[in-house]
Amino acid sequence: MHPIFQNWRVFLLYLAAWVPLGAILGLLISATSSLSDVQTTVVTAPVTVILAFVCLAPWYTCRSLPLSSMNVKTLLGQHVLAAVVVAGGILLIARVTAGAFSGVLPGFGQRFRQSAPVLTALVTMIYLLSIALHYVVIEAQTSRRSELLAREAQLKALKAQVNPHFLFNSLNSISALTAIDAARARAMCIRLADFLRISLRLGERGSIPFSEELELTRMYLEVEQVRFGGKLRLVEDVDPACANCEVPALLIQPLVENAVKHGIALLQEGGEITMQGRRDKDTMRFTIENPFDPDAPASRSGIGLENVRQRLEARFGNAARMEIHVEPRVYRVTLTLPARTIPWRQS
Amino acid sequence: MTAIIADDEELARRLLREYLEGQSGIEILAEAANGFDAVKAVSELKPDVLFLDVQMPRLDGFEVLELIGGEVAVVFVTAFDQYAMKAFDAAAVDYLLKPYSAERLHEALARVRRRLGEPRPAPAELRNAARVPGEYQARLVVKDGAKVHVIPASRLDYAEAQDDYVALRSEGKTWLKQQTIASLEAALDPGRFLRVHRSYLVNIEKIARVEPNTKDTWIAVLHDGSQVPVSRAGYAAFRKLISR
Repeated sequence: MHPIFQNWRVFLLYLAAWVPLGAILGLLISATSSLSDVQTTVVTAPVTVILAFVCLAPWYTCRSLPLSSMNVKTLLGQHVLAAVVVAGGILLIARVTAGAFSGVLPGFGQRFRQSAPVLTALVTMIYLLSIALHYVVIEAQTSRRSELLAREAQLKALKAQVNPHFLFNSLNSISALTAIDAARARAMCIRLADFLRISLRLGERGSIPFSEELELTRMYLEVEQVRFGGKLRLVEDVDPACANCEVPALLIQPLVENAVKHGIALLQEGGEITMQGRRDKDTMRFTIENPFDPDAPASRSGIGLENVRQRLEARFGNAARMEIHVEPRVYRVTLTLPARTIPWRQS
Repeated sequence: MTAIIADDEELARRLLREYLEGQSGIEILAEAANGFDAVKAVSELKPDVLFLDVQMPRLDGFEVLELIGGEVAVVFVTAFDQYAMKAFDAAAVDYLLKPYSAERLHEALARVRRRLGEPRPAPAELRNAARVPGEYQARLVVKDGAKVHVIPASRLDYAEAQDDYVALRSEGKTWLKQQTIASLEAALDPGRFLRVHRSYLVNIEKIARVEPNTKDTWIAVLHDGSQVPVSRAGYAAFRKLISR
């Protein structure tokens, strides 16, 4: 529904704005024809009322013909066609009105014919103006929405960066290691601290080079390798050309966490997490693959994946996508995104 | 007092062993690295207390708890789970949050000693208490002697109440499980499982047709030919569900 109907005050205000507009329309018609004041009013009043409602229609047409996704010719063609149809329809209504009143007001039909071209031109103009206005409104709305979406995604990423499960389990491993192998306990403390420090810092930044994101996931996985021992194995095959591609900070972190938590951790013998990065001229593709237990109960991993999808969309729009591929025992997530390099480096 | 440790992380097991060995009068009978082994070890060795991690391969901690029933006092050992806390309060003798101190473990052991021999609540109900609202059990676990069977919810045809048990019918086989039909109904997705009768819960996808039987009763015929009685209220619920 048109947003103007959501608040009846706004709608009344809109109708009120048509009163002076109708008056101007009447003045222009009477100035360019020999219609009397009464005849002008009889024609203009219904035309104005109908026009007030018809000019809300572009809300729908403008949204189905977005400025960005069409070529200019089709766009203009469709809207001008619509304007001509609207003008034609309104002219017909005006003519019928004039015809109906011609008995009471002599010479009405005759004189109306003179004013027809002016009326048509004015209606067409007003309708086209309404289209332009609607595009402005819609554009403002979309940009506000995508801004909101981006901010929300960033908030979620901040919240997700330190998974309490991960943190407490790591601390427990350190607690165990202090008696068994003090040097390893210390090494794990340092790795954990590095991971936390960097993920806190990255969380504040919008976009980072892929190499930094990959470095962070390596730290994470090193900590998890202490926890899981030989159960967690890693295979990394990343094209060096991916290194300076721009990605939203902490984009792949939730994918790696999922691979451990819902994949490796629930397999008795553990398994391999494979990360692959490929790049051609304008796209970069990242794939993460892990084995999983098909008999394990379905998990809550959907939230993390949805977060990744939203952040990709907020940053790259339709140019990026996330695909999930589930084989009987293998879970694979592939991200395809535009290979944009970061021209400047944030500190 | 005898104990079994069930945790999939080696370091976590070693820590607990180190703490327990520092206590007097505790004998560790076994360690288990997954849910199946934990159930097996408990049924064979009958310890006084089981230290149980929640996230484990093959069977999770709640499934283990369900299967071993009231055989043993359970102390959950876990990192963090906001929903599980509720169940711990009700189900376990105590719970330890990782990382924990030797003193905290000592307290837990004291509680176990005090409560040895007390009756314990039915474990299936506890799992419901720990469930995330809106999420349902995707599989059912049944113990048959020393063996454990896992039945995916999608393969369950229907369940029939039999005194304190439910008979689970799946792919031509019947499994008996100690649980009330009401708690089973609460654990499964209400969009997929329908209580068609006081004693019957049916997987809607398995229903081939519903036929009238007597004046006020109906019969649901499943795809495999088995028949399930449908009460007047059950029929009304069925019609409401399929008309959505």
